[in-house]
Amino acid sequence: MPRKPVSLGWGVRREGRTLWSRNSTRGKSVGSERRKRDGKIEWRRWDPFRSKVAAALLMTSQKASELIPSPGDTCLYLGASSGTTVSHIHDMVCGSNNHHNGQIIAVEISPRMMRDLSSLAEDRPGLIPILNDARETRSYAPVMREKAHWIHQDLSIADQAENFISIATSTLKNGGIGLLSLKAASERQFEGDDQTRFLRAEKLIEESELELIEMIDISQYQEQHVIFFVRLL
Amino acid sequence: MEIRYDWKLSRVVDGDENVLDQLEWQSSHSVNSLVDRLSDLQSGRLTPEARTLRDRFPNAVPNPLGAISDANWPELSKEESERLSHASLILAKRGVANAVTEPDRRLDMLSSASTELRSSWTTQESRAVEWAGLFLPDLDLDEKRAVIPSCIAESDNISQAAVELGSSIPEHMPTDSEWAAMNSQARGVISLSERLALNEQATRELATSHVPTLSSLIGPLGAARMVVLAGGRERLARMPSGSLQVLGASGAMAAHRRGAPPPKHSPVLFSMPLVSRSPRWVRGKIARFLAGKCSIAVRIDHFGGQTWDEEQIKSIHAQAEEIRDKFPKPKKRG
Repeated sequence: MPRKPVSLGWGVRREGRTLWSRNSTRGKSVGSERRKRDGKIEWRRWDPFRSKVAAALLMTSQKASELIPSPGDTCLYLGASSGTTVSHIHDMVCGSNNHHNGQIIAVEISPRMMRDLSSLAEDRPGLIPILNDARETRSYAPVMREKAHWIHQDLSIADQAENFISIATSTLKNGGIGLLSLKAASERQFEGDDQTRFLRAEKLIEESELELIEMIDISQYQEQHVIFFVRLL
Repeated sequence: MEIRYDWKLSRVVDGDENVLDQLEWQSSHSVNSLVDRLSDLQSGRLTPEARTLRDRFPNAVPNPLGAISDANWPELSKEESERLSHASLILAKRGVANAVTEPDRRLDMLSSASTELRSSWTTQESRAVEWAGLFLPDLDLDEKRAVIPSCIAESDNISQAAVELGSSIPEHMPTDSEWAAMNSQARGVISLSERLALNEQATRELATSHVPTLSSLIGPLGAARMVVLAGGRERLARMPSGSLQVLGASGAMAAHRRGAPPPKHSPVLFSMPLVSRSPRWVRGKIARFLAGKCSIAVRIDHFGGQTWDEEQIKSIHAQAEEIRDKFPKPKKRG
């Protein structure tokens, strides 16, 4: 029995346990994800096993539509990798030929990943790939057209939480949304088990100007991962 | 007073948000000049306009986050946004293309390929030898080991191989297809040896030019391995020598964290005869000494110091031998 789709915002919807984004490059998949037509619109399957943001949307206890950016927003994506998640964010923020006039700054340090990301950007105007260390805000801030409405940080480096706090407080708009993907294994330098590491990050965020809305456990889809859903006050 | 700038516009703004001066880049220039400009920004440099303003207002502090924080900053036109997208894409592709100019990445490909070739050579060579031994029971596998793969590879049948190897004609023959498989296994071993030799030659050349001092100290292949394990020359140069001593011994380090004794040396240092041919009780001491010297050597290479000459290398090796001679007997337990 096909379920009735629930819209989570422009260009993204949920059907039961699956997520779909409105394909802005019709007829083309980014990886091997399924596509399907619904009338004139083509939807692309957004796989929570490959995208942490998708996993967070499925696992949050808040309204899922609060987690994602709106069409025309300015977004900052740190650790864009080969661009799987970025492509879905682009679907909803820019749309085909960027008719929403959104801007997504996608920062990635690895040339190998940038290879895939830059070919993605060719078909997707509004997506700005930047080959650089995501910790260096001065390297990408001058190409941002304004402060960001939405930030996602997905880096596997030490001090992820500290980095996120400093970047989010300096580049988010007031009321802007931030998502931090935290992998316990990247915080090995700190004592204790996964849970204490997550609690350490939680404490840091609570002491900052960011308001922690929810700690979303996505371990069902991505091992040892938690997503911190925050808002800049 | 600060300088706010983006890729296009630079402004000097005082404490009361008054714009004192501004310069705008004329975006009628070619895409390439925009790409170069973005490249400067990404390396953390200022735009030429921001630099000019800094000269005009020496007290103004450049603030890279100033433009996005400024509510009065002019918006980009659609055309400007498109130019920015286009130029960023070109810059990203240029970065991907330039990755090859980093010797660290090339060394990684060579050295990692060597490691993989060597491990598959080891398994395939011993399989070829054992296979020959099964059919030629009176063949001395130890004495003839080095020539077995080539003899099998160059023979037309097992009897010919037996003659070449000085063994008696076997009583039981492999089937034709079995011989074909055995022969091709041996040819695979020969081709792996050739590939490995080519690979190591290229690794030696690159390592000798990229890390000359470290290469002359512990050999170019070991030096290459160290750089790759550390994730690049710079990271190796910044490591303490204690990390160098155990670099690559990650399994032993993990065991150490669970209470086992610490590893005495990394596989890289152990591959040096100075360490592996010394008595067991001085290997740790020599490895520690060499790790210290390696750490100095790679810093010389990375930060542009004077490469050590042969005399200096010899004296270091002599010092290592002194350590060995100082401890002829193992420490008494008690």
